Amino acid sequence: MNASANLVVEDVFAAYDKADVLEGVSLTAEAGKITCLLGANGSGKSTLIRAILGLTPPRQGRIAFAGKEISGLPTHQVIAAGIACIPEGRKVFPKLTVEENLRLGAYRESSDSVVVERMANVFDIFPRLKERRGQIAGTMSGGEQAMISIGRGLMGAPKLLLLDEPSLGLSPLLVKENFAIIRRINERGITVFLVEQNVHQTLAIAHFGYVLMQGRVVASGPARELMANADVHKAYFG
Amino acid sequence: MDAGLLAQFVANGLMLGMMYALVAVGFTLFFGVLDVIKFSHGDVLTVGTFAGFSTFLGLKAIGVANPWVQVAAVMLIACGAMAILGALIARYLVMPLKGAPALNVLLLTLMLGTVLRESVRLFFPDGANPKPFPKLLPTDALALGSFTLRLDSAILFVAGLAVIVAIHLLINRTKLGLAIRAVAQDEETAKTMGINFTLIVLATFALGSGVAAFAGIMNGLYYNEINFGMGLLLGVIGFSAAIIGGLGNIYGAILGGFLFAALQTLSVVALPFASAYKDVFAFAVVIVLMTIWPTGLIAEKTSERV
Repeated sequence: MNASANLVVEDVFAAYDKADVLEGVSLTAEAGKITCLLGANGSGKSTLIRAILGLTPPRQGRIAFAGKEISGLPTHQVIAAGIACIPEGRKVFPKLTVEENLRLGAYRESSDSVVVERMANVFDIFPRLKERRGQIAGTMSGGEQAMISIGRGLMGAPKLLLLDEPSLGLSPLLVKENFAIIRRINERGITVFLVEQNVHQTLAIAHFGYVLMQGRVVASGPARELMANADVHKAYFG
Repeated sequence: MDAGLLAQFVANGLMLGMMYALVAVGFTLFFGVLDVIKFSHGDVLTVGTFAGFSTFLGLKAIGVANPWVQVAAVMLIACGAMAILGALIARYLVMPLKGAPALNVLLLTLMLGTVLRESVRLFFPDGANPKPFPKLLPTDALALGSFTLRLDSAILFVAGLAVIVAIHLLINRTKLGLAIRAVAQDEETAKTMGINFTLIVLATFALGSGVAAFAGIMNGLYYNEINFGMGLLLGVIGFSAAIIGGLGNIYGAILGGFLFAALQTLSVVALPFASAYKDVFAFAVVIVLMTIWPTGLIAEKTSERV
Protein backbone atom coordinates (compact mmCIF):
# COMPACT_ATOMS: atom_id res chain seq x y z
CA MET A 1 0.00 0.00 0.00
CA ASN A 2 1.08 3.53 -0.68
CA ALA A 3 2.18 4.86 2.71
CA SER A 4 2.10 8.45 1.45
CA ALA A 5 -1.72 8.31 1.34
CA ASN A 6 -1.83 7.96 5.12
CA LEU A 7 -3.69 10.30 7.43
CA VAL A 8 -1.18 11.46 10.02
CA VAL A 9 -2.20 13.29 13.18
CA GLU A 10 0.74 14.64 15.19
CA ASP A 11 0.52 15.98 18.72
CA VAL A 12 -2.82 17.71 18.15
CA PHE A 13 -4.34 19.95 20.80
CA ALA A 14 -7.86 21.16 20.09
CA ALA A 15 -11.00 22.07 21.98
CA TYR A 16 -14.55 22.12 20.63
CA ASP A 17 -16.40 22.53 23.86
CA LYS A 18 -15.15 22.11 27.41
CA ALA A 19 -16.07 18.45 27.64
CA ASP A 20 -14.46 17.34 24.39
CA VAL A 21 -10.79 18.31 24.38
CA LEU A 22 -7.72 16.82 22.68
CA GLU A 23 -4.46 17.01 24.55
CA GLY A 24 -1.64 15.95 22.32
CA VAL A 25 -3.13 13.21 20.14
CA SER A 26 -0.94 11.43 17.61
CA LEU A 27 -2.13 8.66 15.36
CA THR A 28 -1.92 7.32 11.82
CA ALA A 29 -4.66 5.91 9.63
CA GLU A 30 -2.81 3.75 7.17
CA ALA A 31 -3.79 3.88 3.52
CA GLY A 32 -6.11 1.08 2.43
CA LYS A 33 -6.89 -0.01 5.97
CA ILE A 34 -9.69 0.47 8.44
CA THR A 35 -8.37 2.32 11.47
CA CYS A 36 -10.65 2.87 14.40
CA LEU A 37 -10.64 5.27 17.29
CA LEU A 38 -12.55 4.07 20.33
CA GLY A 39 -13.60 6.25 23.18
CA ALA A 40 -16.43 7.14 25.49
CA ASN A 41 -18.56 10.27 25.20
CA GLY A 42 -16.50 13.37 25.87
CA SER A 43 -13.19 11.62 25.24
CA GLY A 44 -12.47 13.94 22.32
CA LYS A 45 -13.45 11.69 19.39
CA SER A 46 -15.72 14.19 17.66
CA THR A 47 -13.23 16.99 18.23
CA LEU A 48 -10.61 14.99 16.36
CA ILE A 49 -12.97 14.55 13.41
CA ARG A 50 -13.69 18.29 13.49
CA ALA A 51 -9.98 19.06 13.65
CA ILE A 52 -9.25 16.85 10.63
CA LEU A 53 -12.08 18.50 8.66
CA GLY A 54 -10.93 21.99 9.57
CA LEU A 55 -14.19 22.78 11.38
CA THR A 56 -12.27 23.20 14.65
CA PRO A 57 -8.69 24.01 13.64
CA PRO A 58 -6.15 22.59 16.12
CA ARG A 59 -4.54 24.99 18.56
CA GLN A 60 -1.30 23.11 18.22
CA GLY A 61 -0.01 20.15 16.26
CA ARG A 62 -0.18 19.05 12.69
CA ILE A 63 -2.53 16.98 10.53
CA ALA A 64 -1.38 15.72 7.14
CA PHE A 65 -3.07 13.67 4.47
CA ALA A 66 -1.24 12.05 1.55
CA GLY A 67 1.90 13.91 2.51
CA LYS A 68 0.21 17.31 2.43
CA GLU A 69 -0.51 19.37 5.53
CA ILE A 70 -4.24 19.93 5.86
CA SER A 71 -4.44 21.53 9.31
CA GLY A 72 -5.17 25.20 8.81
CA LEU A 73 -6.98 24.70 5.50
CA PRO A 74 -10.62 25.73 5.18
CA THR A 75 -12.98 22.76 5.20
CA HIS A 76 -13.76 22.76 1.47
CA GLN A 77 -10.05 22.46 0.67
CA VAL A 78 -9.67 19.54 3.10
CA ILE A 79 -12.51 17.83 1.21
CA ALA A 80 -10.80 18.68 -2.09
CA ALA A 81 -7.74 16.75 -0.87
CA GLY A 82 -9.81 13.55 -1.18
CA ILE A 83 -11.53 13.27 2.18
CA ALA A 84 -15.22 12.67 2.87
CA CYS A 85 -17.06 12.48 6.15
CA ILE A 86 -20.11 10.57 7.28
CA PRO A 87 -20.98 12.74 10.25
CA GLU A 88 -22.35 11.84 13.64
CA GLY A 89 -26.14 11.82 13.57
CA ARG A 90 -26.04 11.34 9.78
CA LYS A 91 -26.79 15.03 9.11
CA VAL A 92 -28.75 14.58 5.90
CA PHE A 93 -30.12 17.82 4.49
CA PRO A 94 -33.70 17.34 5.69
CA LYS A 95 -35.47 19.54 3.16
CA LEU A 96 -33.63 18.22 0.13
CA THR A 97 -34.49 15.10 -1.81
CA VAL A 98 -32.43 11.91 -1.66
CA GLU A 99 -30.96 12.70 -5.06
CA GLU A 100 -30.07 16.28 -4.09
CA ASN A 101 -28.36 15.00 -0.95
CA LEU A 102 -26.33 12.57 -3.04
CA ARG A 103 -25.45 15.25 -5.59
CA LEU A 104 -24.09 17.44 -2.80
CA GLY A 105 -21.71 14.62 -1.89
CA ALA A 106 -20.20 15.04 -5.34
CA TYR A 107 -20.23 18.84 -5.17
CA ARG A 108 -16.61 19.19 -6.21
CA GLU A 109 -17.06 16.97 -9.28
CA SER A 110 -17.84 19.13 -12.30
CA SER A 111 -18.67 16.37 -14.80
CA ASP A 112 -22.33 15.45 -14.67
CA SER A 113 -21.76 12.07 -16.30
CA VAL A 114 -19.30 11.16 -13.52
CA VAL A 115 -21.86 12.22 -10.92
CA VAL A 116 -24.55 10.09 -12.57
CA GLU A 117 -22.18 7.12 -12.72
CA ARG A 118 -21.30 7.43 -9.04
CA MET A 119 -24.96 7.73 -8.17
CA ALA A 120 -25.65 4.49 -10.03
CA ASN A 121 -22.95 2.86 -7.87
CA VAL A 122 -24.59 4.14 -4.70
CA PHE A 123 -27.95 2.84 -5.91
CA ASP A 124 -26.30 -0.57 -6.41
CA ILE A 125 -25.31 -0.60 -2.75
CA PHE A 126 -28.61 0.88 -1.55
CA PRO A 127 -31.43 -0.04 -3.97
CA ARG A 128 -33.86 1.51 -1.51
CA LEU A 129 -32.41 4.96 -2.26
CA LYS A 130 -33.08 4.47 -5.94
CA GLU A 131 -36.76 3.79 -5.25
CA ARG A 132 -36.92 6.86 -3.04
CA ARG A 133 -34.69 9.20 -5.00
CA GLY A 134 -37.30 11.95 -5.20
CA GLN A 135 -38.35 11.78 -1.56
CA ILE A 136 -37.52 14.55 0.93
CA ALA A 137 -34.76 13.18 3.16
CA GLY A 138 -36.21 14.56 6.39
CA THR A 139 -39.32 12.39 5.98
CA MET A 140 -37.34 9.14 5.86
CA SER A 141 -36.53 6.66 8.62
CA GLY A 142 -33.29 6.68 10.59
CA GLY A 143 -32.01 3.65 8.72
CA GLU A 144 -32.77 5.22 5.35
CA GLN A 145 -31.09 8.46 6.40
CA ALA A 146 -28.02 6.42 7.36
CA MET A 147 -28.00 5.04 3.79
CA ILE A 148 -28.20 8.59 2.38
CA SER A 149 -25.37 9.71 4.63
CA ILE A 150 -23.09 6.83 3.62
CA GLY A 151 -24.07 7.14 -0.04
CA ARG A 152 -23.41 10.88 0.06
CA GLY A 153 -19.96 10.20 1.54
CA LEU A 154 -19.18 7.86 -1.35
CA MET A 155 -20.39 10.31 -4.00
CA GLY A 156 -17.19 12.34 -3.59
CA ALA A 157 -15.12 9.26 -4.51
CA PRO A 158 -12.89 9.94 -1.49
CA LYS A 159 -9.50 8.39 -0.83
CA LEU A 160 -10.20 8.64 2.87
CA LEU A 161 -13.59 8.23 4.50
CA LEU A 162 -14.14 9.52 8.04
CA LEU A 163 -17.04 7.96 9.92
CA ASP A 164 -18.21 9.56 13.16
CA GLU A 165 -20.21 7.04 15.19
CA PRO A 166 -22.17 5.44 12.37
CA SER A 167 -23.82 3.03 14.82
CA LEU A 168 -25.39 5.79 16.92
CA GLY A 169 -29.15 5.52 17.12
CA LEU A 170 -29.45 2.50 14.84
CA SER A 171 -30.96 -0.87 15.71
CA PRO A 172 -28.46 -3.75 16.23
CA LEU A 173 -29.46 -5.26 12.89
CA LEU A 174 -28.85 -2.01 11.02
CA VAL A 175 -25.53 -1.54 12.83
CA LYS A 176 -24.46 -4.96 11.60
CA GLU A 177 -25.52 -4.15 8.03
CA ASN A 178 -23.75 -0.79 8.10
CA PHE A 179 -20.54 -2.28 9.40
CA ALA A 180 -20.62 -4.88 6.63
CA ILE A 181 -20.99 -2.02 4.15
CA ILE A 182 -18.06 -0.17 5.70
CA ARG A 183 -15.93 -3.25 5.21
CA ARG A 184 -17.06 -3.47 1.56
CA ILE A 185 -16.21 0.17 1.02
CA ASN A 186 -12.74 -0.46 2.41
CA GLU A 187 -12.33 -3.49 0.15
CA ARG A 188 -12.77 -1.15 -2.81
CA GLY A 189 -9.56 0.56 -1.71
CA ILE A 190 -10.92 3.46 0.31
CA THR A 191 -9.03 4.20 3.52
CA VAL A 192 -11.42 4.27 6.47
CA PHE A 193 -11.05 6.13 9.75
CA LEU A 194 -13.85 4.99 12.02
CA VAL A 195 -14.67 6.71 15.28
CA GLU A 196 -16.90 4.61 17.52
CA GLN A 197 -18.12 3.71 20.97
CA ASN A 198 -19.27 0.29 19.87
CA VAL A 199 -16.09 -1.67 20.81
CA HIS A 200 -16.74 -5.21 19.67
CA GLN A 201 -18.30 -4.67 16.26
CA THR A 202 -15.79 -1.95 15.48
CA LEU A 203 -12.76 -4.04 16.36
CA ALA A 204 -14.26 -6.91 14.40
CA ILE A 205 -13.92 -4.97 11.12
CA ALA A 206 -10.93 -2.70 11.89
CA HIS A 207 -7.31 -3.50 11.12
CA PHE A 208 -5.78 -1.17 13.64
CA GLY A 209 -7.20 0.72 16.59
CA TYR A 210 -6.57 3.51 19.03
CA VAL A 211 -8.26 4.12 22.37
CA LEU A 212 -8.91 7.70 23.41
CA MET A 213 -9.47 8.66 27.03
CA GLN A 214 -9.86 12.22 28.25
CA GLY A 215 -8.23 13.61 25.14
CA ARG A 216 -5.21 11.30 25.11
CA VAL A 217 -4.43 8.06 23.30
CA VAL A 218 -4.13 5.45 26.04
CA ALA A 219 -3.79 2.30 23.94
CA SER A 220 -3.17 1.33 20.36
CA GLY A 221 -2.42 -1.77 18.35
CA PRO A 222 -3.79 -4.22 15.82
CA ALA A 223 -7.52 -4.65 16.34
CA ARG A 224 -7.15 -8.30 17.34
CA GLU A 225 -4.74 -7.40 20.13
CA LEU A 226 -6.87 -4.51 21.35
CA MET A 227 -9.81 -6.85 21.66
CA ALA A 228 -7.92 -8.70 24.38
CA ASN A 229 -6.34 -5.62 25.94
CA ALA A 230 -7.41 -4.92 29.49
CA ASP A 231 -6.94 -1.15 29.05
CA VAL A 232 -9.65 -1.07 26.42
CA HIS A 233 -12.07 -2.58 28.83
CA LYS A 234 -10.91 -0.23 31.54
CA ALA A 235 -11.52 2.75 29.25
CA TYR A 236 -15.13 1.76 28.98
CA PHE A 237 -16.04 -0.04 32.12
CA GLY A 238 -13.84 1.92 34.52
CA MET B 1 -66.97 51.26 -7.29
CA ASP B 2 -66.66 51.07 -11.04
CA ALA B 3 -64.91 47.99 -12.39
CA GLY B 4 -62.34 49.93 -14.41
CA LEU B 5 -61.22 51.86 -11.37
CA LEU B 6 -61.08 48.67 -9.35
CA ALA B 7 -58.91 47.09 -12.06
CA GLN B 8 -56.65 50.13 -11.86
CA PHE B 9 -56.22 49.58 -8.13
CA VAL B 10 -55.53 45.89 -8.62
CA ALA B 11 -52.95 46.60 -11.33
CA ASN B 12 -51.25 49.12 -9.08
CA GLY B 13 -51.33 46.66 -6.19
CA LEU B 14 -49.74 43.94 -8.32
CA MET B 15 -46.95 46.31 -9.32
CA LEU B 16 -46.29 47.27 -5.71
CA GLY B 17 -46.48 43.63 -4.66
CA MET B 18 -43.84 42.75 -7.22
CA MET B 19 -41.46 45.38 -5.83
CA TYR B 20 -42.06 44.30 -2.24
CA ALA B 21 -41.60 40.64 -3.20
CA LEU B 22 -38.25 41.40 -4.86
CA VAL B 23 -37.03 43.24 -1.75
CA ALA B 24 -38.37 40.52 0.57
CA VAL B 25 -36.51 37.79 -1.36
CA GLY B 26 -33.23 39.46 -0.36
CA PHE B 27 -34.09 39.47 3.35
CA THR B 28 -35.08 35.83 3.21
CA LEU B 29 -31.96 34.79 1.24
CA PHE B 30 -29.61 36.54 3.67
CA PHE B 31 -31.38 35.04 6.63
CA GLY B 32 -31.23 31.63 4.97
CA VAL B 33 -27.47 31.47 4.54
CA LEU B 34 -26.23 33.47 7.53
CA ASP B 35 -29.17 33.70 9.96
CA VAL B 36 -28.86 37.46 9.94
CA ILE B 37 -31.22 40.36 9.35
CA LYS B 38 -29.53 42.89 7.09
CA PHE B 39 -31.26 46.17 7.75
CA SER B 40 -29.28 48.15 5.21
CA HIS B 41 -31.03 46.21 2.43
CA GLY B 42 -33.52 48.99 1.66
CA ASP B 43 -30.78 51.62 1.53
CA VAL B 44 -28.74 49.44 -0.83
CA LEU B 45 -31.85 49.64 -3.03
CA THR B 46 -31.69 53.44 -2.82
CA VAL B 47 -27.99 53.54 -3.69
CA GLY B 48 -28.68 51.19 -6.61
CA THR B 49 -31.48 53.39 -7.89
CA PHE B 50 -29.28 56.48 -7.70
CA ALA B 51 -26.47 54.57 -9.41
CA GLY B 52 -28.95 53.79 -12.20
CA PHE B 53 -30.08 57.41 -12.30
CA SER B 54 -26.44 58.57 -12.55
CA THR B 55 -25.90 56.11 -15.38
CA PHE B 56 -28.84 57.70 -17.22
CA LEU B 57 -27.44 61.21 -16.65
CA GLY B 58 -24.03 60.05 -17.85
CA LEU B 59 -25.45 58.47 -21.01
CA LYS B 60 -27.48 61.58 -21.72
CA ALA B 61 -24.37 63.73 -21.26
CA ILE B 62 -22.40 61.69 -23.80
CA GLY B 63 -25.31 61.73 -26.22
CA VAL B 64 -26.69 58.19 -25.99
CA ALA B 65 -30.37 58.86 -26.59
CA ASN B 66 -31.81 55.44 -27.43
CA PRO B 67 -34.16 54.69 -24.52
CA TRP B 68 -33.68 50.90 -24.86
CA VAL B 69 -29.91 51.27 -24.56
CA GLN B 70 -30.47 53.62 -21.64
CA VAL B 71 -32.80 51.30 -19.76
CA ALA B 72 -30.54 48.29 -20.34
CA ALA B 73 -27.47 50.19 -19.15
CA VAL B 74 -29.32 51.61 -16.14
CA MET B 75 -30.48 48.13 -15.07
CA LEU B 76 -27.10 46.55 -15.72
CA ILE B 77 -25.09 49.16 -13.82
CA ALA B 78 -27.56 49.41 -10.94
CA CYS B 79 -27.88 45.65 -10.43
CA GLY B 80 -24.20 44.92 -11.10
CA ALA B 81 -22.91 47.65 -8.79
CA MET B 82 -25.28 46.64 -5.99
CA ALA B 83 -24.35 42.98 -6.40
CA ILE B 84 -20.74 44.02 -5.80
CA LEU B 85 -21.70 46.32 -2.92
CA GLY B 86 -23.80 43.55 -1.36
CA ALA B 87 -20.92 41.08 -1.58
CA LEU B 88 -18.52 43.64 -0.08
CA ILE B 89 -20.90 44.35 2.81
CA ALA B 90 -21.19 40.62 3.44
CA ARG B 91 -17.44 40.03 3.27
CA TYR B 92 -16.17 42.96 5.31
CA LEU B 93 -19.05 43.89 7.61
CA VAL B 94 -21.41 40.96 8.14
CA MET B 95 -19.15 37.88 8.01
CA PRO B 96 -16.61 39.22 10.53
CA LEU B 97 -19.48 39.39 13.02
CA LYS B 98 -20.14 35.68 12.67
CA GLY B 99 -20.35 34.22 16.13
CA ALA B 100 -21.40 37.56 17.63
CA PRO B 101 -25.01 37.93 18.82
CA ALA B 102 -27.46 38.40 15.92
CA LEU B 103 -28.47 41.70 17.48
CA ASN B 104 -25.01 43.11 16.67
CA VAL B 105 -25.46 42.42 12.95
CA LEU B 106 -28.86 44.03 13.08
CA LEU B 107 -27.41 47.11 14.76
CA LEU B 108 -24.42 47.29 12.43
CA THR B 109 -26.54 47.08 9.29
CA LEU B 110 -29.02 49.56 10.74
CA MET B 111 -26.15 52.04 11.11
CA LEU B 112 -24.77 51.15 7.70
CA GLY B 113 -28.21 51.84 6.22
CA THR B 114 -28.16 55.30 7.78
CA VAL B 115 -24.67 55.93 6.40
CA LEU B 116 -25.77 54.93 2.88
CA ARG B 117 -28.99 56.92 3.04
CA GLU B 118 -27.35 60.06 4.41
CA SER B 119 -24.49 59.73 1.93
CA VAL B 120 -26.98 59.83 -0.94
CA ARG B 121 -28.63 62.86 0.63
CA LEU B 122 -25.37 64.73 1.26
CA PHE B 123 -23.13 63.72 -1.63
CA PHE B 124 -25.56 63.37 -4.56
CA PRO B 125 -26.00 66.82 -6.14
CA ASP B 126 -29.07 68.34 -4.49
CA GLY B 127 -29.62 64.90 -2.95
CA ALA B 128 -32.01 66.12 -0.29
CA ASN B 129 -34.72 66.77 -2.89
CA PRO B 130 -36.64 64.21 -4.96
CA LYS B 131 -35.25 63.60 -8.44
CA PRO B 132 -37.38 63.14 -11.56
CA PHE B 133 -36.65 59.64 -12.84
CA PRO B 134 -36.91 59.46 -16.66
CA LYS B 135 -39.62 57.56 -18.51
CA LEU B 136 -37.38 55.16 -20.39
CA LEU B 137 -40.06 52.70 -21.46
CA PRO B 138 -42.77 53.34 -24.07
CA THR B 139 -45.78 54.91 -22.39
CA ASP B 140 -48.40 53.91 -24.97
CA ALA B 141 -51.66 53.32 -23.16
CA LEU B 142 -54.47 50.92 -23.73
CA ALA B 143 -57.73 52.39 -22.44
CA LEU B 144 -60.51 50.02 -21.39
CA GLY B 145 -63.23 52.23 -20.02
CA SER B 146 -61.86 53.89 -16.94
CA PHE B 147 -59.01 51.37 -16.77
CA THR B 148 -55.79 52.40 -18.48
CA LEU B 149 -53.02 49.88 -18.99
CA ARG B 150 -49.77 51.57 -19.79
CA LEU B 151 -47.22 49.62 -21.79
CA ASP B 152 -44.34 50.59 -19.49
CA SER B 153 -46.22 49.20 -16.48
CA ALA B 154 -46.90 45.95 -18.34
CA ILE B 155 -43.24 45.64 -19.35
CA LEU B 156 -42.10 46.29 -15.76
CA PHE B 157 -44.49 43.72 -14.38
CA VAL B 158 -43.42 41.07 -16.86
CA ALA B 159 -39.75 41.87 -16.20
CA GLY B 160 -40.33 41.52 -12.45
CA LEU B 161 -42.07 38.21 -13.04
CA ALA B 162 -39.13 37.07 -15.14
CA VAL B 163 -36.73 37.94 -12.31
CA ILE B 164 -38.80 35.90 -9.85
CA VAL B 165 -38.90 32.94 -12.24
CA ALA B 166 -35.13 33.30 -12.76
CA ILE B 167 -34.53 33.26 -8.99
CA HIS B 168 -36.76 30.19 -8.69
CA LEU B 169 -34.79 28.39 -11.41
CA LEU B 170 -31.45 29.47 -9.97
CA ILE B 171 -32.33 28.20 -6.50
CA ASN B 172 -33.95 24.93 -7.62
CA ARG B 173 -32.22 23.94 -10.82
CA THR B 174 -28.59 25.01 -10.54
CA LYS B 175 -25.62 23.78 -8.56
CA LEU B 176 -25.24 27.24 -7.00
CA GLY B 177 -28.86 27.08 -5.86
CA LEU B 178 -28.35 23.61 -4.40
CA ALA B 179 -25.32 24.91 -2.49
CA ILE B 180 -27.32 27.91 -1.22
CA ARG B 181 -30.06 25.60 0.03
CA ALA B 182 -27.54 23.25 1.64
CA VAL B 183 -25.79 26.13 3.43
CA ALA B 184 -29.17 27.46 4.59
CA GLN B 185 -30.09 24.10 6.09
CA ASP B 186 -26.82 23.06 7.70
CA GLU B 187 -23.76 25.22 7.33
CA GLU B 188 -21.20 22.78 8.74
CA THR B 189 -22.41 19.76 6.83
CA ALA B 190 -22.51 21.89 3.69
CA LYS B 191 -18.84 22.74 4.23
CA THR B 192 -17.99 19.04 4.56
CA MET B 193 -19.54 18.49 1.14
CA GLY B 194 -16.71 20.64 -0.22
CA ILE B 195 -18.81 23.78 -0.57
CA ASN B 196 -16.84 27.02 -0.25
CA PHE B 197 -19.03 28.62 2.39
CA THR B 198 -17.66 32.16 2.02
CA LEU B 199 -18.16 32.10 -1.73
CA ILE B 200 -21.77 30.95 -1.38
CA VAL B 201 -22.53 33.66 1.18
CA LEU B 202 -21.03 36.32 -1.08
CA ALA B 203 -22.96 35.01 -4.09
CA THR B 204 -26.18 35.06 -2.09
CA PHE B 205 -25.64 38.64 -0.91
CA ALA B 206 -24.75 39.68 -4.45
CA LEU B 207 -27.94 38.07 -5.75
CA GLY B 208 -30.21 39.62 -3.13
CA SER B 209 -28.66 43.07 -3.49
CA GLY B 210 -28.79 43.01 -7.30
CA VAL B 211 -32.46 42.08 -7.13
CA ALA B 212 -33.10 44.95 -4.70
CA ALA B 213 -31.50 47.37 -7.18
CA PHE B 214 -33.82 45.96 -9.85
CA ALA B 215 -36.80 46.68 -7.59
CA GLY B 216 -35.49 50.21 -7.02
CA ILE B 217 -35.18 50.94 -10.73
CA MET B 218 -38.63 49.44 -11.23
CA ASN B 219 -39.93 51.82 -8.58
CA GLY B 220 -38.21 54.77 -10.29
CA LEU B 221 -39.57 53.87 -13.72
CA TYR B 222 -43.06 53.36 -12.33
CA TYR B 223 -43.36 56.53 -10.24
CA ASN B 224 -40.87 58.63 -12.24
CA GLU B 225 -39.50 60.02 -9.02
CA ILE B 226 -36.82 58.88 -6.64
CA ASN B 227 -35.53 60.21 -3.33
CA PHE B 228 -32.90 59.32 -0.74
CA GLY B 229 -35.47 57.86 1.66
CA MET B 230 -37.23 55.58 -0.84
CA GLY B 231 -35.42 52.47 0.37
CA LEU B 232 -36.30 52.97 4.00
CA LEU B 233 -40.03 52.24 3.71
CA LEU B 234 -39.46 49.66 0.95
CA GLY B 235 -36.95 47.95 3.25
CA VAL B 236 -39.30 47.84 6.22
CA ILE B 237 -42.14 46.57 4.02
CA GLY B 238 -39.86 43.97 2.38
CA PHE B 239 -38.71 42.83 5.80
CA SER B 240 -42.31 42.54 7.04
CA ALA B 241 -43.24 40.63 3.90
CA ALA B 242 -40.35 38.20 4.49
CA ILE B 243 -41.45 37.75 8.10
CA ILE B 244 -45.12 37.11 7.24
CA GLY B 245 -44.06 34.60 4.63
CA GLY B 246 -41.81 32.79 7.10
CA LEU B 247 -38.24 34.11 7.12
CA GLY B 248 -35.95 31.85 5.11
CA ASN B 249 -38.68 30.75 2.71
CA ILE B 250 -38.40 32.38 -0.74
CA TYR B 251 -41.95 31.64 -1.83
CA GLY B 252 -43.22 32.88 1.51
CA ALA B 253 -41.38 36.16 0.94
CA ILE B 254 -42.93 36.56 -2.50
CA LEU B 255 -46.37 35.75 -1.13
CA GLY B 256 -45.76 38.17 1.74
CA GLY B 257 -44.85 40.95 -0.69
CA PHE B 258 -48.04 40.57 -2.66
CA LEU B 259 -50.06 40.18 0.53
CA PHE B 260 -48.74 43.47 1.87
CA ALA B 261 -49.60 45.24 -1.38
CA ALA B 262 -53.05 43.62 -1.31
CA LEU B 263 -53.62 44.98 2.19
CA GLN B 264 -52.61 48.49 1.11
CA THR B 265 -54.84 48.28 -1.95
CA LEU B 266 -57.73 46.92 0.07
CA SER B 267 -57.37 49.79 2.49
CA VAL B 268 -57.42 52.35 -0.32
CA VAL B 269 -60.44 50.73 -2.00
CA ALA B 270 -62.42 50.21 1.18
CA LEU B 271 -61.54 53.51 2.84
CA PRO B 272 -61.02 55.97 -0.03
CA PHE B 273 -61.42 58.91 2.35
CA ALA B 274 -58.46 57.65 4.38
CA SER B 275 -56.03 56.43 1.71
CA ALA B 276 -53.17 58.16 3.54
CA TYR B 277 -53.62 55.51 6.22
CA LYS B 278 -52.92 52.58 3.90
CA ASP B 279 -49.56 51.80 5.53
CA VAL B 280 -51.07 52.07 9.01
CA PHE B 281 -53.78 49.62 8.00
CA ALA B 282 -51.39 47.21 6.26
CA PHE B 283 -48.85 47.19 9.09
CA ALA B 284 -51.62 46.76 11.66
CA VAL B 285 -52.89 43.68 9.82
CA VAL B 286 -49.31 42.35 9.60
CA ILE B 287 -48.96 42.77 13.36
CA VAL B 288 -52.19 40.82 13.90
CA LEU B 289 -51.06 38.10 11.46
CA MET B 290 -47.76 37.80 13.30
CA THR B 291 -49.47 37.26 16.63
CA ILE B 292 -51.59 34.49 15.06
CA TRP B 293 -48.76 32.84 13.06
CA PRO B 294 -45.56 33.85 14.85
CA THR B 295 -43.32 31.88 12.48
CA GLY B 296 -44.96 33.04 9.27
CA LEU B 297 -47.69 31.78 6.97
CA ILE B 298 -45.67 29.01 5.38
CA ALA B 299 -44.67 26.73 8.21
CA GLU B 300 -41.50 24.69 8.05
CA LYS B 301 -42.46 21.22 6.83
CA THR B 302 -39.65 19.30 8.47
CA SER B 303 -37.66 20.04 11.56
CA GLU B 304 -34.13 21.20 10.90
CA ARG B 305 -32.84 19.96 14.22
CA VAL B 306 -33.20 16.42 15.40
